[in-house]
Amino acid sequence: MDNLQIGRHISGQFNEDLERVINNVMQMGGLVEKQLTDALASVEQSDVALAKQVLTNDYQVNAYEVSIDDECTRIIAKRQPAAGDLRLIMAVVKTIADLERIGDEAEKIAKVALESFSSSQQDLLVNLDNLGRRVLEFLQASLDAFTRMDCETAIKIHQMDDKINREYEALMRQLMTYMMEDPRSIPQVMTVIWSARALERIGDRCQNICEYIIYFVKGKVVRHTTAEDMKKL
Amino acid sequence: MISISPKALATGSDTTIEKKLDLTNLTPEQVALDINKLNLFYGKKQALNNITMSIPKGQVTAFIGPSGCGKSTLLRSINRMNDLVDNCHISGEINLHGSNIYDKHVDVAELRRKVGMVFQRPNPFPKTIYENVVYGLRIMGENNRRRLDEAAEQSLRSAALWNEVKDRLHESALGLSGGQQQRLVIARAIAIQPEVLLLDEPTSALDPISTLTIEELINDLKKQFTVVIVTHNMQQAARVSDQTAFMYMGDLIEYSDTNTLFTTPLKKKTEDYITGRYG
Repeated sequence: MDNLQIGRHISGQFNEDLERVINNVMQMGGLVEKQLTDALASVEQSDVALAKQVLTNDYQVNAYEVSIDDECTRIIAKRQPAAGDLRLIMAVVKTIADLERIGDEAEKIAKVALESFSSSQQDLLVNLDNLGRRVLEFLQASLDAFTRMDCETAIKIHQMDDKINREYEALMRQLMTYMMEDPRSIPQVMTVIWSARALERIGDRCQNICEYIIYFVKGKVVRHTTAEDMKKL
Repeated sequence: MISISPKALATGSDTTIEKKLDLTNLTPEQVALDINKLNLFYGKKQALNNITMSIPKGQVTAFIGPSGCGKSTLLRSINRMNDLVDNCHISGEINLHGSNIYDKHVDVAELRRKVGMVFQRPNPFPKTIYENVVYGLRIMGENNRRRLDEAAEQSLRSAALWNEVKDRLHESALGLSGGQQQRLVIARAIAIQPEVLLLDEPTSALDPISTLTIEELINDLKKQFTVVIVTHNMQQAARVSDQTAFMYMGDLIEYSDTNTLFTTPLKKKTEDYITGRYG
C-alpha cells in the first residue's frame, strides 16, 4: 500500500475513507479469486456441490461491488478528490466493475460442472483446465499488483493476455475438430466452448485491471494502445 | 469537445480531449502578460524567487498555493500595487504588450487603467450605484451623460448585475448585498475597458450562491478580458481557470493547463497540496 500514500492526508477522516475502500476492494478481489478457483476445481473434479456453492456465492461479489461503488460516490461528493486521489477512485470504480464481471464469468464456468461428461469426453476438460490455470495465475498477479499499486509488474503481466488468447484459439481449433469428428458431442463441446470463452474474457478483464494500475501510478491512459507504446512506459 | 488526431484515428491511440496551449511556447499574439525573472523583496525577505511565466490572452489563469506563498504578491506586482509598500524591491520584468511595466517612464495610473483589480472584500465607494460604475470614466474626463449611461448599463450587464439594480441606480451602493457589491466592483473595474482583470480572492467573503454567480461571470468576462485570479479555494481554481500556477514559498512550482494540473500534476509538491497531504 506504500505507493498509495493514503495515510498522509491532513484529514484523518479522508485517510480512513480511502483505506476502507481499498480494503474492501482487496476483500472483493480475494472473493473473486476464490470463486474462480472453486469454479475451476468443480469442473476438474466434477464436484456438483462445489459448483452450486460458486453459483450461490456470486451474490456476495455483487454486494461488494454495490457497496464499494456507493462509498466511492460518497467520497467524490464529500471530498472532491484531485490528482492521485481522483485517479485512485476512478481506478477503484473501474476495477470493481471488472471484478464483478469476472465473478459472473466464474459462475458460467461452474455451470460446466453441472453437465455430465462421458469418460471419453473427459480430455475436453483437461484442456480447459490448462487454460483455467493460466487465467487464474493472471488474475492473482493482477490483484497482487493492484494491492501494491505496482506499475512495473502491471506493465510486465499486461502481455499475459496475449498468451491466453493464443491458447484460447488453439483450444477452439481442437474443439472444432472434436465436433466434426463426432457430431454427437456437440452439446458437451458447446458447454466447454462457453466456459473457454468465459476464461478468455477474464483474461481481458485482468488486462483492464493492469491498465487501471498504470493509470493510477503514471496518470497515463494506456487503453487501446499498442504493445510498443506500452513498452515506452 | 472531443478531437481525435489523425494519428489516433490510424492507430486507435492517443485520443485526446481538447487541444492544450503549450505554455512555454506561446506566440506573441497569444500572450497577454510575460513575466520574466521576477524577484521581489520585502526588506530583506525575498517573497518571489525568479518567477518566469507567460499568461495567455483571453483566458483565465489562477494562482494557487498556501498562505504566504507569494501568489497575492505576484498578482499585485502585475499592476504595481507593491509600489505602495515601503521597503519593497523588485527586479526582473513584467511585459504588457512587449513593454516592461517597471520601466521608469511608465505612467502607473495609465497602467492601472489597463490592468484593473478587484479585491477580497467588496469596496464600493460611498456613492450611488451609478456613480460607482462611472467613477473611472469621470476621472478620465468623460462627462457626456449619454456615453456614461451607456457605459454604466453595459458594464452592469457584463457583471450580471443590471437586472437587479436597473431600478435603483441612484441609490447608495452600500445598500447592496455582499455578492452584489462584489459584482458592482467588477462592473466598476470593467467600465474603463481594461485589458487584464486581476481578481484577488474575489469570492472568499461571499456565500456559495453568490460565489457561483461570480464564477459564471468570470467565465463570461474572459471573452473580453484576460483574467488572473488568486484563490484559496482549489475547486474554484479547477472550475473557473484555463491555466493554473501552483506557488510555494515564493517559487513557481508548477504551471500548466488546469485539467492536467488537477488530474496528473508532475511535481510532488503540487500533488501533496491539491490532495491535502502533509508536505
